[in-house]
Amino acid sequence: MDIASEVLQLFLQPENFLAIALGVVIGVVVGSIPGLTATMAVALALPFTFSMEPVAAILLLVGIYKGGMYGGSITAILIRTPGSPASACTLLDGYPMAQQGHAKKALKMALYSSVIADFISNIALIFFAAYLAKIALNFGAPEFFWLICFSLTIIISLASGSMIKGLLAALCGLLLSLVGLDEVYGSQRLTFGNYNLMDSISFIPLLIGLFAIPEIIEFYRKKALPHIKAKASGASVTLAEMKRSLKTIIRGSLIGVIIGAIPGTGATAAAFISYSDARRRSPNKANFGKGEVEGVAASESGNNGVAGATMIPLLSLGIPGDVITAIILGAFMVHGLTPGPVMFQENLPLIYALFMGIMFSSLVLLAVGNGAIKYFSLIADIPKEILFPIVLMFCVYGAYAVNNDTFDVWLMLGFGVLGYVFNRAAIPAAPFLIGFILGPMFEDNLRRSLLIGGNDLSIFVRGPITWFFIALTLGSILLALYRYFAARHQSARSDTTQETP
Amino acid sequence: MTSLWKTACLAACSGGLALAVSVSTAQADEWPTDDVRLVVPYAPGGTTDVLSRRVADLLQEELDTNVVVENRPGAGSTVATGRLARGGRDADHTILMASPGHTIGAAIYPDLAYDPVEDFVFLQNLIDIPNVMVVPADSPYDSVEEFVEAAKQENMTFSHSGVGSSIHMSGELFKTLTETNMTAVPFAGSGAALPALLGGDVDVSFENMPTVLSHINSGDLKALAVTSAERSEHLPDVPTLSEVGDHNLDQFVTTAWFGLIAHESFPQEAQDAMREALDTVMQREEFLDFAEQLGAEPGQVAGEEFKQFIAEEVERWQDVADQADISQ
Repeated sequence: MDIASEVLQLFLQPENFLAIALGVVIGVVVGSIPGLTATMAVALALPFTFSMEPVAAILLLVGIYKGGMYGGSITAILIRTPGSPASACTLLDGYPMAQQGHAKKALKMALYSSVIADFISNIALIFFAAYLAKIALNFGAPEFFWLICFSLTIIISLASGSMIKGLLAALCGLLLSLVGLDEVYGSQRLTFGNYNLMDSISFIPLLIGLFAIPEIIEFYRKKALPHIKAKASGASVTLAEMKRSLKTIIRGSLIGVIIGAIPGTGATAAAFISYSDARRRSPNKANFGKGEVEGVAASESGNNGVAGATMIPLLSLGIPGDVITAIILGAFMVHGLTPGPVMFQENLPLIYALFMGIMFSSLVLLAVGNGAIKYFSLIADIPKEILFPIVLMFCVYGAYAVNNDTFDVWLMLGFGVLGYVFNRAAIPAAPFLIGFILGPMFEDNLRRSLLIGGNDLSIFVRGPITWFFIALTLGSILLALYRYFAARHQSARSDTTQETP
Repeated sequence: MTSLWKTACLAACSGGLALAVSVSTAQADEWPTDDVRLVVPYAPGGTTDVLSRRVADLLQEELDTNVVVENRPGAGSTVATGRLARGGRDADHTILMASPGHTIGAAIYPDLAYDPVEDFVFLQNLIDIPNVMVVPADSPYDSVEEFVEAAKQENMTFSHSGVGSSIHMSGELFKTLTETNMTAVPFAGSGAALPALLGGDVDVSFENMPTVLSHINSGDLKALAVTSAERSEHLPDVPTLSEVGDHNLDQFVTTAWFGLIAHESFPQEAQDAMREALDTVMQREEFLDFAEQLGAEPGQVAGEEFKQFIAEEVERWQDVADQADISQ
């Protein structure tokens, strides 16, 4: 009883509500501007939290984090420029939907799936933190290695159309991900002695270049695109669509929760894993990548599922899973609090107050997101000859803002040309991105496992988690092969039936 | 009469004007005449960034001008440092938060276009964070001696947060001094490295103290030694590596240091003003509290002494990098 009143006293402060609301608004705005990431916003907001009460301070940062995670999807859907790396996957279906005049539907679906995923993630944080943290600790390099292997088999299912082109794109992505410093020896790879390439290719210029620039080139090459003007950018999500996507959203959220609970993976990978899982299961497989509302749901639930879950290793183990949680850890420490098991014993009321605030932030996200959609969706109705020059300006600015470096602007333009070539040759971008994101994780964990195990291969089968992912990987490959041959058999049979009169 | 009056008036006015002008030039000469730019050679969010923003806040009160923090990440801080070394128009109002990346970077990156010692003015060492030699709680080793004896027999693994980090180089230095068998296992940052240590996948790490302090206190990790010259007040029972003495470890003193540097052309007047302001900043309670929360000690050296320290560090890491065969 005492604890309950203490918790309420800590939580029911106007300052807390203000902090959450402000945080989510800042997050959504910053997240939606390409090149400005939630990480930057959280880092910039940190000094302001020094003078605040601990609960309000943490909630402000958490609010920015959550808002930013959703905000990235807005520009991804509307102008094919992901506001943050984690929303790169959202544009695969979100932008085609906007082009077909369904911008509002895509935005609403992104919001609803984000909020639901956020909510599920919070529940996981509050009720299963201790359990998930234990799994995370058992997730070493070999377990990671097999998880990535399983995720890489996804490329097979994403290579819509031509398998050869899909694999080609994936290999391109892998090759580019090699640029930079070797993780073990520190030697340079494919940098050509250029200092700008030593930190590997920056992800944000790559994303902006790959997706936004080809649209602009295409527009000026054709001089005019048919302007689709739908009133208020189309209808909202229907109940039937929501019902259809609900399973995908829940699965995506759970994928996000698991990925988020393991330090060092990140929301971008979660979005892609959720997306490909959804595609594999969906009856509308063929429509993925062409404007499937379920695709948007899968991607957004995947990346937002991560947001609450990254707090699991932070609060229960004191381990920050990504840069943002590292900053939040800093904020805890500035207030004399050290996240970890001890905090649950010493500052229980404070943790419960934080949990209440984090739950409340999901509701705020829903309200703020709805407001944002109302105004942002008007962007879809701006004539392209006015919109595209502004988008181009944002592309240049966004690429520059990441490292304050003009090199990244050139990089972005270079990837723009590559993206245009991809478009013209009908090479899918999704496998390219998966290769680029998962490739380094694959290599790092393979080499890390070998270093830890002293080159003894038995480390790769050391426990139930590895066995589980080995089974999934093999299953995934066998299923793909079975489907491939079944489809060939089918088409061969239908060919013969057609030939017989 | 009138003309005399006029002349007198004119003389008085021009005198006053001259006085006003001289006063205003005196004011204009007083550094800073513009905003001060504090360059952070890493991305937002890391220790360097957080520290810089805190210092910038306090510094702008002392200097009575804006102190603008600018992140210029790249190639382990050498991109921003190289840019500072080139000087330029606002070099007299630009300062940079240097850290072990400055000296280690100089040792492991080839063809740096600058000299890490001679091209800069060293203003003030702000804080030092000791590293701690930690092993998992269920590790069979309870002291540095036991660990070294075992590491001479069998191969040990140590985790670090990336090639060229102070954590990595501390491990390599330990390996070189004790002549033991150790394999470096790289992770992307301390956050990713810690679970491997907690879960027992690696045998030891030389982590920054703030990262592991709570785990040491909760009993999840065992601290065998600290790497600073003096014992840390956070871990008074843990010996320093130099106390151990054997296995050449008396030479093992290293901390993650953070300090402000500027271009070599940074005016003497500006150096004096900065040093005065930093002296005050470092005595302020906000700063001391902040350092305490980071598990850091306030820095000890400034000016020439700081420069001397940097020169020794560069030489030392060069040796370690050569022996460990790390070069980029």
